[in-house]
Amino acid sequence: MEIYEMTAAETAVAIRAREVSASEAVRAGLERLHKYEGAVNACVTVLDERAAKRAAELDARLARGEDIGPLGGVPYIAKDNFCTRGVRTTCSSHILENWVPTYNATAINCMEEAGAVLMGKGNCDEFAMGSSTENSIIGPTKNPRDLNRVPGGSSGGSAASVAAGYVPLALGSDTGGSVRQPAAFCGIQGLKPSYGEVSRYGIVAYCSALDQVSPFARSIEDLAIAMEAIARPDPNDTTCDAYDRPVFTEALSMDNLKGKRIGVFAGFEAEQMDADLYKALTRAGNMCREAGAEVEPIDLPIAVKYGVATYYVTALADASSQLGCYDGVRYGTHIDGPTLADMYANTRTESFGEEVRRRIILGTCLLTEGFYQNYYGPALKVRTRMSEEFAELFGKYDAYLLPTVPSMPYTLGAKETDPNRMYLGDVFTVPISLGGLPGISMCLGFTDGGMPLSVQIAGPRYGDAKILGIANVLERMIGRPKPCEPRKLGEAA
Amino acid sequence: MSYVSSRPVVIGLEVHIQLNTRSKLFCPCSTDYIGKTPNTNVCPICLAVPGTLPLVNDSAVALGSRMGLGLRGEIQKYSNFHRKNYFYPDLAKAYQITQYGLTITVGGYLDIEADGKPKRVRIHHLHLEEDAGKLVHPTADGRLTGASYSLVDYNRGGVPLSEIVSEPDISSPAEAKEYVARLRQLARYLDVSDGEMESGSLRVDANISLSNPGGSLGTRVEIKNMNSLKALERALEYETERQNKVLDSGGRIVQETRLWDDAESVTRSMRNKETASDYRYYPEMDLAPIVITDEQIEEFKKSMPELPWEKRARFAGYGLSKEETAILTERKELAEYYEAVVSFGAPPARAANWVRMDVLRVLNELSRDIREFKVKPETLAELVKYVEAKELSGTVGKEILDILAREDVPFDEALKRTGARTGRLTGGALETLIDRIMSANPDLVEAIKSGRDKKGGKLKFLQGQVMKETKGQADPRETASLLSEKLV
Repeated sequence: MEIYEMTAAETAVAIRAREVSASEAVRAGLERLHKYEGAVNACVTVLDERAAKRAAELDARLARGEDIGPLGGVPYIAKDNFCTRGVRTTCSSHILENWVPTYNATAINCMEEAGAVLMGKGNCDEFAMGSSTENSIIGPTKNPRDLNRVPGGSSGGSAASVAAGYVPLALGSDTGGSVRQPAAFCGIQGLKPSYGEVSRYGIVAYCSALDQVSPFARSIEDLAIAMEAIARPDPNDTTCDAYDRPVFTEALSMDNLKGKRIGVFAGFEAEQMDADLYKALTRAGNMCREAGAEVEPIDLPIAVKYGVATYYVTALADASSQLGCYDGVRYGTHIDGPTLADMYANTRTESFGEEVRRRIILGTCLLTEGFYQNYYGPALKVRTRMSEEFAELFGKYDAYLLPTVPSMPYTLGAKETDPNRMYLGDVFTVPISLGGLPGISMCLGFTDGGMPLSVQIAGPRYGDAKILGIANVLERMIGRPKPCEPRKLGEAA
Repeated sequence: MSYVSSRPVVIGLEVHIQLNTRSKLFCPCSTDYIGKTPNTNVCPICLAVPGTLPLVNDSAVALGSRMGLGLRGEIQKYSNFHRKNYFYPDLAKAYQITQYGLTITVGGYLDIEADGKPKRVRIHHLHLEEDAGKLVHPTADGRLTGASYSLVDYNRGGVPLSEIVSEPDISSPAEAKEYVARLRQLARYLDVSDGEMESGSLRVDANISLSNPGGSLGTRVEIKNMNSLKALERALEYETERQNKVLDSGGRIVQETRLWDDAESVTRSMRNKETASDYRYYPEMDLAPIVITDEQIEEFKKSMPELPWEKRARFAGYGLSKEETAILTERKELAEYYEAVVSFGAPPARAANWVRMDVLRVLNELSRDIREFKVKPETLAELVKYVEAKELSGTVGKEILDILAREDVPFDEALKRTGARTGRLTGGALETLIDRIMSANPDLVEAIKSGRDKKGGKLKFLQGQVMKETKGQADPRETASLLSEKLV
């Protein structure tokens, strides 16, 4: 097996066993990256020297007999909205294109402590706003499974890096589906943890109430290992829960689903979604039954009917406030003008992309006197109702299955002109976000045409370990996804 | 003379008090920003560096609760923060984190005295919020227009404030001044704030309107930028007069914000401010709600010191006048000093006089605070006792106090320097001295003896010489009778 094909767990084991050095692992990743990056465009910044240097340090420590951590020598990519000390962090935006943070996000520090090697910063939709990774200063990232298509978003660069075999592990941030949807589009595994499970400190915020650091991998085990590294209390983030996390990898010892009750979402018409994805959902339900679970159809009327509207009201309102700090005064791009108002207008109009400007304007409007009472206020109430709906559901079920996405990855540029259509692609991911619940998108194989199939497994709040266990049983039955040679479908592989 | 309004005046005040925590409201930076090099008292959090998150300072919550309790408000067991959104360069995040709706305390009141009568001003609520930075404009008139650039200093950004919003119960500029003075006193008693208006630890925004003839409320005008109690009173007096004149001439009051210009003694409209600001308040999701338990509330209550009005009531027991009591209780530290002097045996009325007249005079001369006063209460008590027993004259006593307040010398040394000694000059010693003074002034003695002292001025002069020589230690009555005997 080539190094790039290994999972993070396999790579770490091989390095600890001195079968492969950290330097070799990082070199293999960088070689793979440079071979395909021209076609995929997954990274805003590639850290060749820095990663090589860090790998050499880890090798030296290993040679001295030191423990280099559970992810020692494993290269990873972090989405470019994670603050990285000394490494520019652009959020794929002109406004931060030359901004170099002076501190690390807590999740980055956690990964460093676990021994992982940061290899680059993943492309994303500007300020994590989008579902296609097309709205970026470095241009769109392409889906390695078919370079004609989008990788999903907003964490598309991180997802594509894992799918293309640059790295076995990547970090993204998921607000309304920004990790689960690109995981589904790229044919890999992605976990959005429960809100409060992982520190948000150092993640450039899009929506404080929903953002959550989320790992991508090509195996459920790797997601669990990543969670052990990053899911811990953080005195710098009061919304990060102080409770003692379970040992996530222990959940993987389960080898069947006997005694589990699993609901399968049935609250929609089959024709509302892609036929192959609908079949994948059915198949996932059958697999659970085969594994010994009790499987029943369930509905989530409030979540599905009001989820998208509630999500966009909540997230856009927050985004409009969250992005106010980019005023050209303290950091980032500054474009002068004859008056203070002109300076603000020039800086923000010229440095934010169209989608970001659209969301700021919509969000500003939503919080305005009169609109607040009709939109933001009700959205808060709907969130409460949704949480009640979920609470009732998880009183009866251990987990439930629903699609991650309603459609296959679309071709590049297909949705640029119709943001509404793109927003509706989030119909199955946003309710989980609004409920603060954990959700895994896992790969369920591929269509005959080679496009990935996926299903989403959601669990109760802080049931992250539980759903990792269930996903792991399914992954054992179907096999884990492998990295692909990026190509355009229709061309000879 | 203050202007008499022909229409009832309705005033409500929003008082911002800087809480004397060590660190800022949402980050570990110091609150001691005055005089520091611009932008050195900052960190990624208060500079709103992308990715940072606020952390609530628990001691600000405790101090806010304490102040609210002092105002007899009710602590809310559950409150939260909101974002107040607006763009201005001194506001790093483009939103201020503040409380809105669910505030740390609600209700309460503050009793003041207006025209010699008690008056109750109700409190609407007290909330916590962060301060903004400061803009430094290169122009003298304080406006951005005309200047080619402005500088911003974030040292103050994030300093914790408690905003106390009164009901519109205040009916004159003098009452407004008194209300703020009592509020400041309370904050100082509670060790919540130093309450200095000049340095900006206490800031007042005033809402003022004149009632219509039918009694309905008039249009409200907000006044800002008053940097002292005097400025507050003068600004409100000016505004009362201005509004009356506008209405008298058939005009209409415009709802607006006006700035007090202390040099020109006028209020001016802030033209460039959006009058109908929409701050788009919404809940701050980066912070968990503030939850205060019953146990915490009990602890806050238990830790309350004696409050100003309680101290005033108790001081009445010393037999002091209302005015004396007011002066002695204005600052807790002065009241405590006074009580210590009394506890060391000085008679209360005498001690009150000494503290009120002499201690305050010396402190004023030295520009010092009572906390920096060198004369220990026990020393002052000794001094008061000597004077009371006529062992020392009042003049010598004051001289000794002056020396002790300025120099680190023991009481005896100070006494020695005055040339006086304790004990009265009497009997033979006094007689010897009188003889010496008489022989030094033979002309006067002759004149008096021959009856050329009709008005008694010459005798008084001799008496004065005796007092001067003895530093007042001679008993005046004994001196007078001895002199009279000898000059017959």
